[in-house]
Amino acid sequence: MPGTTAGHDIELIVDKIADNGGGVRPPPGGNGGGGGDGKQPPKRRRPSPKRYYTGIALAIVSVLMFFMALASAFLVRRGGPDWVPVHVPVLMWFNTAVLLASSGTLEMARKRLGLLDAGGFKKLWGVTTALGIAFLIGQVVAWRQLVGQGIYLASNPASSFFYIFTGAHALHVIGGVGALLYVTFRNFEKAQVTRVVGAEVTSYYWHFMDALWLFLVALLYLGK
Amino acid sequence: MVTYNDDASAPESNGASPVAGVFSTHHKTIGRQYLWLSLASVLCGMVLSTLLRMHTSWPDTAIPFLAGVENTPERYAAVRLLHGSLMVFFVLTAAPQLGFGNFLLPLQIGAREMAFPTLNFVSFWLTVVSLGGMTASFFFPLNTGLNVWLASAVIFSLAALFSAVNFSTTTIELRAKGMTLPRMPVTAWAWFLNAILSLLIFSVLLAGATAVLSDRLLGSNFFSAASFLAHQPQNLVRQGNLPLLWQRLFWYFAQAEVYVAMLPCFGIITHLVATFARKPVWKERLVVLALCGVGLVGFCVWGYHMFATGMNPYAPLVFAVLASSLGIPAAFLLASWVGTLWNGRVQFTTAMLFTIGFISLFIAGGLSGIFLARHDLASAAVSEDFVTGHFHLVMGVAATFAILAALFFWFPKLFGCRMNESLGKVHFWLTFAGVYCIFMPMHWLGLLTQANLLPDAQRVALASAGASIRTLVTVATIWTVTAQSLFVVNFFGSLFGRKKAEENNPWRASTLEWSIASPAPDENFGSEEPAVYRGAYEFAANDAEDFAPQHLSPELLVQKAR
Repeated sequence: MPGTTAGHDIELIVDKIADNGGGVRPPPGGNGGGGGDGKQPPKRRRPSPKRYYTGIALAIVSVLMFFMALASAFLVRRGGPDWVPVHVPVLMWFNTAVLLASSGTLEMARKRLGLLDAGGFKKLWGVTTALGIAFLIGQVVAWRQLVGQGIYLASNPASSFFYIFTGAHALHVIGGVGALLYVTFRNFEKAQVTRVVGAEVTSYYWHFMDALWLFLVALLYLGK
Repeated sequence: MVTYNDDASAPESNGASPVAGVFSTHHKTIGRQYLWLSLASVLCGMVLSTLLRMHTSWPDTAIPFLAGVENTPERYAAVRLLHGSLMVFFVLTAAPQLGFGNFLLPLQIGAREMAFPTLNFVSFWLTVVSLGGMTASFFFPLNTGLNVWLASAVIFSLAALFSAVNFSTTTIELRAKGMTLPRMPVTAWAWFLNAILSLLIFSVLLAGATAVLSDRLLGSNFFSAASFLAHQPQNLVRQGNLPLLWQRLFWYFAQAEVYVAMLPCFGIITHLVATFARKPVWKERLVVLALCGVGLVGFCVWGYHMFATGMNPYAPLVFAVLASSLGIPAAFLLASWVGTLWNGRVQFTTAMLFTIGFISLFIAGGLSGIFLARHDLASAAVSEDFVTGHFHLVMGVAATFAILAALFFWFPKLFGCRMNESLGKVHFWLTFAGVYCIFMPMHWLGLLTQANLLPDAQRVALASAGASIRTLVTVATIWTVTAQSLFVVNFFGSLFGRKKAEENNPWRASTLEWSIASPAPDENFGSEEPAVYRGAYEFAANDAEDFAPQHLSPELLVQKAR
């Protein structure tokens, strides 16, 4: 950039003008110094991982809103004359315990990662993934039990809501299992983020799934 | 002019043509693609509205397309919904937020890319699928068509959610050095706030649409369409009247889109008013607060309605209340626009004309909204002429004017050349006169039909007046749509007849996107990280130049002034 290089190098006595934006001034040399000589090749850094934390937080808000909307529909619809309560199958309480346990093992795995114990991390992370899959299988079995009792999606409003809550949650958990597997198998040498970031972002989502499930199962149990 | 990328001569195929790099994850390419999508939709939508008007005025004439489907009332309703779907989803929602936002947000905040380019890519192509689905749905039998339409609405909501996460994360995390929140251009604020609003609104719509779709396809029992139809006037209910149901579901989505469509337009208008009045935005921080107010009030009113009725899409509409809830923040925005224009050295470019046109239409439409807020306008009333006139002025045409203003303004950055100003001005005046001739008489028509209490003789006289007003509206529609051919000629003429080497900053604007070459180079800011030294609207800050660009360090500014 021949035209501007000279401009950067000339020392100017600066009157403090035109900085009434009110914010922080960028540190000196941020603009002029670095690229002024034009010899350093542009550095290729990993972009800041902060965006993944922000992104997952916003995604969680959005998912929460989705379920809140359904919960509002559930609560408004509950008093209707065609409402036949659905009892939460016992198996689902067992599934709840499995999901809670997975959150525990996930945290243990992250602690291993913090201690740079790759083997321990892999093991515990695998246990978490297995518990997540076990939860999903358990949900499918619970649905089959309900179908065995003659309770279908189309039976009545209560059953419709029961299936949509558990089904939509299961879909979101499948996404979580996908993220767990991604962290397991991704070669983080080539990725834009480190394994630590991947594991942490995944853990936010997974714990949220856990808390959401507690809310949903409480809603279905108390609100029937 | 100091730029970050002096040596980068713009590459020949800069994604400017629709074919170049179709499957790209690059934010500028995707932004342009959204604009192409909107252009196609708006042209189709306009043709449909002309056909509809012609059918209303001269029902006996054989009209192409409508004649082919034997002019059945169901088909007529379906075509009207197709017009609405194209315009609301793929023009009003897509162009100001997704089109201009994708292209300009990273440029304005000094980022290289959106936060999640792949997500952006997925979101765009989901939108394309949804456009295809919504268009196709009108060629199926009504029952299937309604299902396809709903599925497309689900996909559209999903795409909107992905975009919303992307936009908000980009704004929060990827701002350049020195780009503090108070220094962010009002346009960037509007895109950001709108993304947050979309995040909340579209999750609810997604849940609602999924539930309705499951009701229709899987027989679940979330909402009861039967009870909705039972409460309609008897003459409307014929064997589960599908067009009515469809129209109701359309409004379930459209009433939320009032805000999603308008918020980015407010940002664009504020930005252009300041740039072309050569003055800082009057009370800029309060304007940003007012934008927050639009989002907050909008979501509270809409959200209250949603959650109070348990998301029931068949609950009565609150369209009028929604529109009037814009009142207080909108009044503030108006005050700021006028305050900025006051004593400004206003440059009447085409972009500025469309901006002023927006303000005019917004006032006119807003005034009729006050009348609406007084009446209880339940579900069926939405089709009435007065309401149609009202929301077309305030939401449809005003937003389209903002889109056109933005297009004329950012055309150099998008495609590397300016559009023809004289042709643009002729286009503006013809359109401006045309839309007033369409939608003001429509208000009268709405009032005429309310005159049931008058004696018979007067009603007959009014009915004959109504017929001639209807013809006037139709003629004005044909006039306005024809005038758009000037725009099409201008758009494609400028695009294909473009000369190279457009200057970087033809409008002498102060934000970051004007510090780089036109059209914006692939790398955005070259190898150097951009830095920001001041607010976005520092006009008349300096003697030699009447504006201080955001990216120019105080040292360089002084040097330049010498």
